[in-house]
Amino acid sequence: MTAKMRWSIIILMIACTFTAFAGGRGESTKTDDAATAVEMSDTSILIAAQGSEPDQLDPHKTSAYASFQVLENVYDTLVQPAEDLSMEPALAESWEISDDNLTWTFMLRDGVRFHNGRELVAEDVVYSFQRVIDEGLNGWRFGAVESMSAPDDSTVVISLKQPSPNLLVSIAGFKGMAIVPREIVENGSIGTNPVGTGPFRFVSRSPDEGIVLEKNPDYWRADEGFPKLEGIRFVQIPDAGTKLTALRTGEVHWIDAVPPQDIESLAAESGITVGRVPGGDYHYFALNQNRAPFDDARVRRALAMAIDRDVIAEAAQFGAATANQTAIPASNAAWYFDYAPYRAADVDGAKALLEQAGVSDLSIQFLVTSDFPETVTQAQVIAAQLAAIGVTVEINDVDFSTWLDLQGKGEFDAFILSWIGNIDPDDFYYAQHHSTGGFNFQGYANSEVDRLLDAGRVETDQAARRALYDQAAKLIVDDASYIYLYNPDNINAWRGDVQGYATRGDNAIRFVEASLQ
Amino acid sequence: MNEKPTSRTRETLQILLANRLAVVGLCVLALLVVVGVIGEAVAPYGINDIDIANRLTGPSGAHWFGTDELGRDVFTRVLVAARVSLQVGFIAVGFALAVGVPVGLVAGYYRGTIDAVLMRIMDVLFSFPAILLAIAILAVLGPGIGNAMIAIGLVYTPIFARITRGSVLVVSEEVYIRAARSLGARDGRIILRHILPNVLAPIIVQTTLSLAFAILSEAALSFLGLGVQPPNPAWGRMLAEGRNFFQQAPWMGIFPGVAILVTVVAFNFVGDGLRDALDPKQKSVIESRGQSV
Amino acid sequence: MRAFLIKRIFQMLLALIGVSIVVFALMHLVPGDPVRVALGTRFDQDLYDSLRADLGLDRPLAQQYVSWLGGALTGDLGVSFRNGQPVTQLILERLPATITLAMAALFIALLVALPAGIISAVRSGTGLDYAVSAASQIGISLPDFWAGVMYILLFSLTLGWFPSSGYTQIGDGIGEWIRHIILPAMTVGLISGSIITRFVRSAVLEALNQHYVITARAKGLSEWQVVRRHVLPNAWIPIVTVVGLQLGFLLGGVVVVEVIFAWPGLGRLALTAVKDRDFTVLQGSVLYIAFMFLVINLLVDVIYARLDPRVRVS
Repeated sequence: MTAKMRWSIIILMIACTFTAFAGGRGESTKTDDAATAVEMSDTSILIAAQGSEPDQLDPHKTSAYASFQVLENVYDTLVQPAEDLSMEPALAESWEISDDNLTWTFMLRDGVRFHNGRELVAEDVVYSFQRVIDEGLNGWRFGAVESMSAPDDSTVVISLKQPSPNLLVSIAGFKGMAIVPREIVENGSIGTNPVGTGPFRFVSRSPDEGIVLEKNPDYWRADEGFPKLEGIRFVQIPDAGTKLTALRTGEVHWIDAVPPQDIESLAAESGITVGRVPGGDYHYFALNQNRAPFDDARVRRALAMAIDRDVIAEAAQFGAATANQTAIPASNAAWYFDYAPYRAADVDGAKALLEQAGVSDLSIQFLVTSDFPETVTQAQVIAAQLAAIGVTVEINDVDFSTWLDLQGKGEFDAFILSWIGNIDPDDFYYAQHHSTGGFNFQGYANSEVDRLLDAGRVETDQAARRALYDQAAKLIVDDASYIYLYNPDNINAWRGDVQGYATRGDNAIRFVEASLQ
Repeated sequence: MNEKPTSRTRETLQILLANRLAVVGLCVLALLVVVGVIGEAVAPYGINDIDIANRLTGPSGAHWFGTDELGRDVFTRVLVAARVSLQVGFIAVGFALAVGVPVGLVAGYYRGTIDAVLMRIMDVLFSFPAILLAIAILAVLGPGIGNAMIAIGLVYTPIFARITRGSVLVVSEEVYIRAARSLGARDGRIILRHILPNVLAPIIVQTTLSLAFAILSEAALSFLGLGVQPPNPAWGRMLAEGRNFFQQAPWMGIFPGVAILVTVVAFNFVGDGLRDALDPKQKSVIESRGQSV
Repeated sequence: MRAFLIKRIFQMLLALIGVSIVVFALMHLVPGDPVRVALGTRFDQDLYDSLRADLGLDRPLAQQYVSWLGGALTGDLGVSFRNGQPVTQLILERLPATITLAMAALFIALLVALPAGIISAVRSGTGLDYAVSAASQIGISLPDFWAGVMYILLFSLTLGWFPSSGYTQIGDGIGEWIRHIILPAMTVGLISGSIITRFVRSAVLEALNQHYVITARAKGLSEWQVVRRHVLPNAWIPIVTVVGLQLGFLLGGVVVVEVIFAWPGLGRLALTAVKDRDFTVLQGSVLYIAFMFLVINLLVDVIYARLDPRVRVS
């Protein structure tokens, strides 16, 4: 070995030491996390694989479904959707409504403690709701609320400006309205170190271990034996194929979604359960009504006629979906409206409508995103179907951040997306189709629809309320404000040793009753 | 001095044609270009002929390469994609050449401040993580094949600038360049007539190798959901989509994968052959960016 | 030597500032911003404006850049817009995974490339040489995600030898660490190895043609003695160069492979940051990646200059 070679080896060794040093520092920042995880006995820790990475863990400020998968198990709401999506007691054991429907009084459960040991009091509920209104993403859900107060530690009173039949869904339909302790907001740790009253306590978050939760022994359902698991570890596996393999090989116990093409083979595999329920989600596309010729309802209706929803559902979901011309799925029996005016692939009808509208050589740019790959598939099938009526579709596949930007600025002909987890018809229609709605990016304005949706918000008689929404839905479908495609099934899959877990219609991921055998 | 390049070109060609692998590579590339030109015309189906009833069917008389998840003919899409994938390669590398070579020529010829400024800019591009640079450029420009080409091209630009500059530094010291300078020839003329022909060898070799890597880059970008817009097929995009169906329909990934493999290998054969022919001592070229985007 | 070093370090700092300006400018040209992403599908102008003000995004760009640069110089890379964690912590947390993967991949690459390259050069023109060339061609031509998916299907799903995803620290057990790292390291390492093989082959081939090698042969040394004593020491320079470059790339994180194997490395951090327009995280991680790359390049150049003093001049 020459002197020169020795020199180069020394330099390379310095390089390695340098990098190893950098590595050592990295490890030291999270030894305490790892230690906690190791201390927990491995036998009843459920490993759940998520397809995407949660952002912040502040329930009031995140809009990421991946964050809610975790937070569902850390936080509670005042009441909560039961498995049939009716509202059941949670932190509030019971509630009363005044005769004029304007005052709601909630009685809190006794002895509920936050994970930091402090007892939950009514003031926490008022504080949390006020925070949602002031700075949360869901403040609009409190539009009917006049004031809130905590006359004593276990009573919350909410006064309304107007009757609000869907108040429970609005203020407790999902964990975006979670009850949080003031102290973690004030010390700024709510985004990284959530403290709730839920069945599991947050332990740590690191890129290696994922998000680690441990059992909350003081959970308010502890006397029923819940939670049964010692802990949950949420790991993030971005590639759908790898995630599926990880479930098959037993590296993880549960995965949050199954690629549609694999549902059949996975369900047939022994030792794996595929949970599949008709969900409250819907897929749709919308045309920009601020742009000609999409301002003409006949043009929109022609497109709604030309497509074949069954084919789109089969293509994009491999049959794990039900075609629907309105938003609310048949499984939501209380609000389902059976209305299907468009014949599938009605090429002649569509051509006639386009001719009436004086439109020819129509070319539409569809805004889709590979971050939700089904939108890309749907657009390709729609492109082929619209070609039959002489309409050209150009697909613009961008990342979701760009998608949101273009949509917000109204720079699109058409976009495809889905809505997830809705329960009440107000959630399905108001923000999307009311002329002042926060999600009415397609620019739909129909004063009759506005009137019906406003009336639905205050109508307390169930049958009368339902009639209002049926009328509104009919107008929305006839005007093709949204062109609804289908309701996909909600699908999770888990290994045979997971017991007591069920896939839910609202897409909430609850491990409170789950156990590992 | 005019005969010199011509005779060298002939000599190079002779050596190249004596290299069996290079000849194979050239033939394959010629075939690909033909497919790229006439592919769409001779393809048995349309690229977006959706047929859900016959999705994911294996190779057969009707569908030589089987069908994909929407029932489209994989053979048709592989044929038509040849044009897209070659375009990505040629235009991206063309962009890198068009920017990188002049930068290298100017920097190497004038040296001094100009050299320092230009090469620091190239350093910035070079030290930027390649795939992130491509993704960020695509995000700014918007997705699509044209922008993907620019993004990949920008990533390769500093390599060409560096290689060109390195060779120019050596060539500038040659007697005939100094002579031309002292005779008062204009800079532009010296650069184009005397320097460029003498630094072409490493640039040509790097070009063929970069073409291979550019085609792989399209695949990587497609895997990340960028690149060519659907329903237009490109091999990388087809391969990226096919990986999700590998167990149900391996043909969806195998055929575009083989197409990429054959093309990249062909470019490399030609590149190696050129290297032997132009630069028998194998000295000058450093395959600086030995990795796809 | 010292003047050379000072000059190179100065150039490196210039490049780093350039990188930070480019990444800053790029991210502000991109449509979409972190606030829009955080708001999700629902949009509310007032909420949007107040969140932007909270993050300081309503200030002039130059002011944002200067205040970020000021922080960066004192080691404070800011806080992630997306999850509120300090950027320095996010990067440091991912370094062990990135560095171990880079080292393991380089180990596999050298394990394959050195013997394969030397043998094919020494036995140049034989069937063995062609076999090595063909194998390295295929290695270079395979897209990395394709190779990764194949390994998962074969070694995880079918054979059940190795897990398909995840990372464990060396400290938590060397056996588990190896089981987790082997597939991603193989995916990256075999591609790098294929590239390095070609360089080893040509470097050794060139050295074999030198007159002192011919002299050594004439003295009756065996072929392997010739290679060991006379060829390898002279083939060293180009090999160090290419190995250094590969290491530079690997330390920057291998985005696609990290996605496939759910590897918690820097590449994925930066990729997610691009997608979510998490400016601070992107700026921090790109700056770090560029820094690593430039440091390795500098080291390679120092080795080079050490071995071949003429380099310092040019």
